[in-house]
Amino acid sequence: MSAAGAVASLLLADSRFPAGTYAHSLGLEQAVAEGLDVDGVAPFMSARLRLVAQPDAALSVAARRAAATGADGEPGLADLDVEHAARCPSPILRDVARRLGSQLLRSAAAAWPCGTIDRYRADSATTPRPVALGVVGAVAGLSDLELAMVALYDDAATVACAALKLLGLDPAQTARWLAELAPRIGAMASEVADDVRPVAQQPPPAAIAIELAAARHAQRRERFFVS
Amino acid sequence: MSPERALRIGVGGPVGSGKSSLIAALCRELSAELRLGVVTNDIYTTEDAEFLRAAGVLASERIVAVQTGCCPHTAIRDDITVNLEAVEELERDQGPLGLVLVESGGDNLTAVFSPALADVQIFVIDVAGGDDVPRKGGPGIARADLLVVNKTDLAPYVGSDVRRMLADARARRGELPVHALSLVSPPHARPVADWIREQVARYVAGGGHVRSSASGAPDPHHAHPHAHSHG
Repeated sequence: MSAAGAVASLLLADSRFPAGTYAHSLGLEQAVAEGLDVDGVAPFMSARLRLVAQPDAALSVAARRAAATGADGEPGLADLDVEHAARCPSPILRDVARRLGSQLLRSAAAAWPCGTIDRYRADSATTPRPVALGVVGAVAGLSDLELAMVALYDDAATVACAALKLLGLDPAQTARWLAELAPRIGAMASEVADDVRPVAQQPPPAAIAIELAAARHAQRRERFFVS
Repeated sequence: MSPERALRIGVGGPVGSGKSSLIAALCRELSAELRLGVVTNDIYTTEDAEFLRAAGVLASERIVAVQTGCCPHTAIRDDITVNLEAVEELERDQGPLGLVLVESGGDNLTAVFSPALADVQIFVIDVAGGDDVPRKGGPGIARADLLVVNKTDLAPYVGSDVRRMLADARARRGELPVHALSLVSPPHARPVADWIREQVARYVAGGGHVRSSASGAPDPHHAHPHAHSHG
């Protein structure tokens, strides 16, 4: 772990980094439309961490390793794109991941100009955000642990930020949710970073309710958020 | 050499100032001579996109709506990636286009487009929003490449002084153009359409380069190292 990598991880986790996440609630908008109230937001964030963000973080770490080493025998980035698609049955959420990945890569290519990001942008048809984040993490010098922390924190913080716009809330309350989740995010990040199994051997839990809700959300005429 | 992509014009301004109606009128004026695309940034619904589709002024696949997560100003200035993706996808799927209009969600007077998203920009205010708006100023009023004072037909009913609005706006804007407009009586949107024709011609002649008056200077009232260039 380097100090420079740690600073780069702050930049990537900063909502001011232009990667388009502000336009996403990651399912919270639909959950609120279907009755979730203020008390349900922190459990919603926790459920996403376990069902979605942790498997995504594992993909990011695998992508960081693939982009950093390019070693034979390891799964390549194209394999990881396919892994993501296999783990995300919802075409709507696959499209959301493609757009978020593409937006991240667009700004990262300007922030850290290098062939690695340009090659992935040119080669990948689907640029799923978890894989894209791993590629960017490799270029920006993040360790596996830092990258997993960014991936997990970003998921929870995106939901928390959307909660401010969807529910009447004291903004400090969302900071408290994230602060309370910090030990859990830290432990999960360590677990992801320490897992040396190939990602294909890390079966993700099914997030069926989240995928079905995404389909209902996409059909809504009135919505603030892309997802 | 023809430009690699379409000219991108941002259309911003407060809620209800008539951005969508102006865009519909512009599509009507220009669609015979220019291949147009429109990206709308609706606040809550896809209503602006639906309005344009219902107006029948443009093939519906050339109108795209994006959601901005309650942050319309972010989507045109601080983090433009959502809009850039939408514009590029539209050009890829429907292209080549000659002009893409990006309609901001209705926002406050400080919201201006990043020059990385819009080559030039139009700011639309209306007489019913208060005739002191040009005097108050702000980046949209002072620096947009074109300022439109819309709905002049309503001025007698809402007690607004159009001449004063135009004079205040001109005092704020120096050489930059201001058009008073009514979409319910002739010449309708023609002055704005003519301005756009000029922009497209300059853009094509320059091989894909124009300089927006809104780029570079953070605030015309503050000292800054680079002089304005409106040429």
